[in-house]
This record gives sequence, C-alpha cells and structure tokens, in this order.
Amino acid sequence: MRSIRIGLLLGLRQIQRANIWTNVLIIFVMTLTFLNLIAVSGILVGLIVGSERAFRQQAIGDIMISPKPEEAHIVNTQDIVRTLNNYPDIENFTVRYIENAKVEANYKERRDLTGERDVVTTRIRGIDPEIENKTTGLSSRVIEGEYLSSDDQGAILVGSLTLEKYASGFGDAFDSLSNVSIGDTIRVTVGNASKEFKVKGVVRSKVEDVSMGMFIPEKEFRRLFGRFDRNADQIAVRVSHSVSEDVVKAHMLSDGIDEYAKVETFVEGMPKFLTDIKNTFNILGTFIGSIGLVVASITIFIIIFINALSRRRHIGILKAVGIERRTIELAYVAQAAFYAVVGSAIGALITYAVLVPYVDLHPINFPFSDGILVVDTFTTLSRTGILLLVTLAAGFVPAWLIARQNTLNSILGR
Amino acid sequence: MITARNIHRTFTSGDIVTHVLKGVDVDIAEGEFVAIMGKSGAGKSTLLYQLSVLDRPTKGTLMIDGVDVLALDESEQTSFRLNTLGFVFQDYALVPDLTSRENVMIPLLMRGMTWVQAKDVAVEALDAVGLKGKYENLPSQLSGGEQQRASIARAIAGKPKILFADEPTANLDTFSGDQVIKLLGELHKNGQTIVMVTHEPEYTSECNRIIEMEDGLITGERKK
Repeated sequence: MRSIRIGLLLGLRQIQRANIWTNVLIIFVMTLTFLNLIAVSGILVGLIVGSERAFRQQAIGDIMISPKPEEAHIVNTQDIVRTLNNYPDIENFTVRYIENAKVEANYKERRDLTGERDVVTTRIRGIDPEIENKTTGLSSRVIEGEYLSSDDQGAILVGSLTLEKYASGFGDAFDSLSNVSIGDTIRVTVGNASKEFKVKGVVRSKVEDVSMGMFIPEKEFRRLFGRFDRNADQIAVRVSHSVSEDVVKAHMLSDGIDEYAKVETFVEGMPKFLTDIKNTFNILGTFIGSIGLVVASITIFIIIFINALSRRRHIGILKAVGIERRTIELAYVAQAAFYAVVGSAIGALITYAVLVPYVDLHPINFPFSDGILVVDTFTTLSRTGILLLVTLAAGFVPAWLIARQNTLNSILGR
Repeated sequence: MITARNIHRTFTSGDIVTHVLKGVDVDIAEGEFVAIMGKSGAGKSTLLYQLSVLDRPTKGTLMIDGVDVLALDESEQTSFRLNTLGFVFQDYALVPDLTSRENVMIPLLMRGMTWVQAKDVAVEALDAVGLKGKYENLPSQLSGGEQQRASIARAIAGKPKILFADEPTANLDTFSGDQVIKLLGELHKNGQTIVMVTHEPEYTSECNRIIEMEDGLITGERKK
C-alpha cells in the first residue's frame, strides 16, 4: 500500500512536470490507438451489419416463411395466412409470388430484327402493394414515378439496377434496359406468354432483391404466371418490437406451419456469405487494431524508456535513500496507465458522442449497404482492457530494465 | 557502529582489473564525525559507498549497527538504508519533479508515516537547515547551497543512525560550503554520527577524526 501511494505520487509528479505538449502528443497517440481498435473494426463490421439491417427491413423481415426444399411453392399458403392473421405478436406480413421472367424494352422502336434485343432476365414479384409497404416500406424506395396500388392493371415497379441509367455506375456487372422512363412500355415474357406493362415507378435500394427485381400486383402476377392455387413463394413476417422473433417462430412451429413450409428467423435466413464477410471484417478489424496496439505499445515503451533512462540517476538516488524498486517501477507504470486511461476516455467520448451519432445520421455510402458504426459495450470494454494491459506492460518493462540496474552505477552514470 | 574488515573493491573492464580498495579496515564509533580524505583516485568515495551499503565489496566483512549488511539481499539493503542511513551527495541529488518538501517527505512516507506526519517532519527538517518558506520550491528554483541544505534535510529528517556525505561542499561556493559544514557540525554536536568524504582540509574543522587514504589503503588517521 505504501509503495503504491508513493509510486502514484512519483508518477503523478512526473506527469505534472513533463512538457505539456509531450503529454498531449502521447495522449493523442493513445486516442488514435483506441479509435483504431474500436472504430475501424466497428466501421468494417458496420458495413455488413448495415447490409443485414437493410436486408431484414426491406426483404426477409424478422421471420421468413419459404417453400420446403422438396416443394416449388409454400404449400397451403392460404391456411398459413389465416393462421398468421390470428397472431397478436405479428405486426404485418407480406405474401409474395416470385418467378423469373424476361423483360424487354425498346422492342417497338427496334428496326434491325437480327440485332441484339434490349432484354434482361429478372425476378418478378407479385405483391399486395399496401401490405408490402406496411411490412417493408417499399414505397419509400421510389425514386421516380409512383408506387403501385392494389387495383393497378398493367403497371410495373422496376428496380433501379434493371435500368441502364442507374446501373451504368456498376459497369457491365448487370444486364439492364436502356432508355426506359416512367410511362414507357416494357414486355414481360414467361415461357410463351407475354404481357406489356407500363413503368409506373422506379425503386432504388442497396438490397439486391429490391433494386434488381420488378414488382407487379399479385392479381396480375397470378394471371400472368398461371398461379391459380395461390400458393406463394415467400411470406415475410414483421413481429412487434416487444417480442423476440424466436418466440413467434416457436409459436409457428407449435402450430405446425413447418409441416408446409420452412420457417426461419432473420438470423437463420441470412445469407451465409454475409455472416462470412462480417466475421472476416471482424478479423480484419482486429488485425488492423492489433497493429495499432503494437505501434502504441512500442511508442509507450520508447517514451517510458527514454524517460526512465534520462532519470536513471534519480532512480539510483531514490533507491539509495531507501525507495523500493517496485515503488519506482510503479511510478512509471502509473504514468503509462494515465496515458492509456485518458487516451481511451477521449477515444470513447469521440466514439460514442461523435462518431456513432454522426454515422447513424450519415451512413457510410458503401455500394451494397449503408454502413453504420457498430460498437458494443463488451467489445469496447474488452479492447480497452487489452489496450490498458499492453500499455502497462510497455510502461513496466523499461522501468524494470532501468530500476534493476546497480544503484551506485545509476547514481554515478556508469 | 561501523566495523569494516579487509574491504577490497575491484573493478573489471574487459581484461583490465582495477583494485580500488586493497584491504581497508575501518571502525567508526557512535557519535563520531569522521572525514575521509585523500587525493583524487585514492579510493575515498569508493570506501564511502561500501560503508553506506550503496556498493558491495569484492571481499571483506562489514557490520553496521550490529547487522552483517553484506548478508542482506538487495531489497533488505534498501530497507536498511531507509531506516538506518542518511545520504548527502556531492550534487544534491534531489528529485527534480518534487518540491523541496516532497523530496524530504518521500523517504518518510516510505517508512510508513502518514502524509500529515511526513509533511510536519519535513517542514521541521527544512526549517532546521534554514529553508523556511521554501517548501514548495522545486530544486530548479533553489540555489546550489539551498539544494544541498534540502538534501541534508532529506537525509536527517528520518533521524538516521549514520549520515554519509560525499563531498557535500564540492559544488558550492565558499560561503555556502561553510554553511553546510556548520550545519553538519551542529548535527554532530547533537549526537549525529557522520562520515564525510572531502578533499578540502578547511572543511574538516568540525570533524573529530580524519582518515587519510592513498592508493586504496588507509595511510593515516588523525584525531582532533
């Protein structure tokens, strides 16, 4: 206890008497190290979490009901719909019919019949526009024209990446339709059946299911594709905030919905590549953070080493007058701890008070997601703990190296 | 109080072996003020370092206040110095980050005194060496003579059994040097055992015994 008290006093006085700009510089380095540890990996992971959130919000909902592997569609869809209508914990759910189709544009203006046709293959979704909007907010993604209404006939909502003017930024990554504007007619072909639709609106999203697909009212869809059994392909369920999707899923399973369809929560239904990318980014962030940690520990080591070396004589004198070696070592460890704690505190303040709110308001515009900054308390605390431990070690080692030297040699500088 | 027998100290640097102390016997009684004198290179400071447990002789035995100090490990020697010995160095050796009062307080706190106790004792010691009102001054804000007096205050505040002084006047002007010697003389009159190294005969006026050294050996002793 005595050693701790005197060690802290010596450490405190060294900090107080040190050059203010030296202290500022060291704390700045520690703050950057903290941000490197917490914010960099948080941003990398946030790119994927942003993508996951959008995917959940705009595509698969909290629970996704889809066909069983051996079935083409969800068997007994209408029974399932009736069952879901009785669930108090479900806010909304949207039933979707999905088929692949060829969509052609500019066929009326086409003069050279041997030339290349302006055609894309895409997924057409038959939806109830109002219910879909309540569940996924699809109408808010409209960037041109208007959203569909339930009684629309011959109207289609197209994903922005199916149109050349929006897809051109991605180079030749996607096939797209050129010169298509609101009100233009495009032709949807399924097998030998074709039907013309007028483009009513364009939707843009960073969720591929939205931006690369097309939407028509379900009645038209069923007529076009001959889906008269009303067995759907997806039911995206939005549960109320007060209940976990796992609870609702368990309820569905107990009602036997899984006999007719596959029931997955958002986490279970998330594409594996997203989880893999998230894990990879997490490792990458940790790796980048670790480099920062090593740089910071070397910085602290050098600073404390130079500090202790320049005070070698005073260390010898303190030992000569009876101050224990561990007390002197503690003084330097306390110094290092001060820099780490203050640097981390400033870093945490910047992260939680500035970066997180700012990135929430202004997400990082990544081509496939709106990236957010993901920082959780456990990660922050554990990485701050690691930073503190590494800094303490980096402060202790040079102090130990100098303080263990012969007392008289230290005093006489030999 | 101090009994040193056949003290040898050898320094080795590569193939070169230097015998600085070549078998020194010293006895110092309680209450003595002993000056160790000699020319530069005679080994007087090296002898002081052995007697004050700052260095370990290559050979010999050393008993201080009934303790075989050479049998103690590093930590025990540090504790022994804290509780039994006081030091005044040639260049004051104050910790530059601490005020004069804190410099005096540090060994007292290490001894287990409370902050308030250590503060009171430190102020008393600083007053005793004539540094009243300069408690909050950093060493850089004190003159050389004042720094040496602060150093003496640090050495005596814990009431050590033996006070060692290594050329305490070497860096001081005549006036400050006289003041320091006068101060040591007053401490001696109050019963303090003092062992001082000096090469200036005029500063031995307060001593009651002078040990003369040459080439690593004691060549003479004078009582005053």
